[in-house]
Amino acid sequence: MKNLILKVQSEFKAEVLKKEKKQIWLKIGKENLLSVCIFMKNNNFIFFSSLSAVDILKKNIIELIYHIWSEEKKMGLNIKTEISRKNLEISSISKIYNSSQIHEREIHELFGVNFLRNPNLSNLFLENWTGPPPFLKDFNWRNYVREKFYNKENKNEKGYFNEIPNNK
Amino acid sequence: MDTEKFNYKINKKAKKVAKAIWVFNWFNSCGFIEILPVVGSRWDMERFGLIPVASPRQADCLIIAGYQTIKSIKRAKLIYEQMASPKTVIALGSCSKTGGMYWDSYNTIKKLEDYLPVDLYIPGCPPRPEAIFDGIHKLVQKISLSD
Repeated sequence: MKNLILKVQSEFKAEVLKKEKKQIWLKIGKENLLSVCIFMKNNNFIFFSSLSAVDILKKNIIELIYHIWSEEKKMGLNIKTEISRKNLEISSISKIYNSSQIHEREIHELFGVNFLRNPNLSNLFLENWTGPPPFLKDFNWRNYVREKFYNKENKNEKGYFNEIPNNK
Repeated sequence: MDTEKFNYKINKKAKKVAKAIWVFNWFNSCGFIEILPVVGSRWDMERFGLIPVASPRQADCLIIAGYQTIKSIKRAKLIYEQMASPKTVIALGSCSKTGGMYWDSYNTIKKLEDYLPVDLYIPGCPPRPEAIFDGIHKLVQKISLSD
């Protein structure tokens, strides 16, 4: 395992963020993602378990984390990449890990990340959705709901338009 | 109320309808877990003639429990259209009435009556089995009066 990490560090400029008994966190640039995935798949990291995304408004990025498991080594690999919120594009790894296709489809739906060369990015849960991607931090869902579902002139629904005070 | 008396009253009115109310359960939110004991032996809905059926084509009554998402209300409409008339719709829980705790969710519908013709709301979070039987009683009354 040590050799693997050294190789990834030297070849793909990966940064080791954290090491535990059964988990490793790596950080790589988004241009190296495909080559790292191919390299790891050739070294027994076969099982793609999930893909998660975090929207960080302060840094103006979206962080994607690929969780991959190796049954032989009993090790988990977590690959972090960052993409800018202005250019939400990253290459799809669905050709390498087939099961990642539906995860990418979900992230595309909820965060608006465009996965290049993914065969099917149609909507999974939100049918006929017209608003912005709902999981982005700057999406004002309360206003969206007020506009879409409630009528301000209706006497019974007037209360929904009151401002809710922050308890901070 | 004494259950025997209650049973007798229900039976008397159900005789006018001349058949038992067969229900199709469209339970895809938390209402399902809470209403399960109604089907079981303790509250036993079959003694009031309520029988859950497998296909909407045999059902007289559609019971919708809890909130519906924008995606699932389309399927609920399809089910309603497949039922043979006369048909009724019962909505369980406060979510189907006003949106409940999901009043500001972007992906759930707020009032069921905007989408389906609801005959009866049974409020509660979740409603007690007794409330459901009371609601069924009212529904039977409504059917027998309309006849």
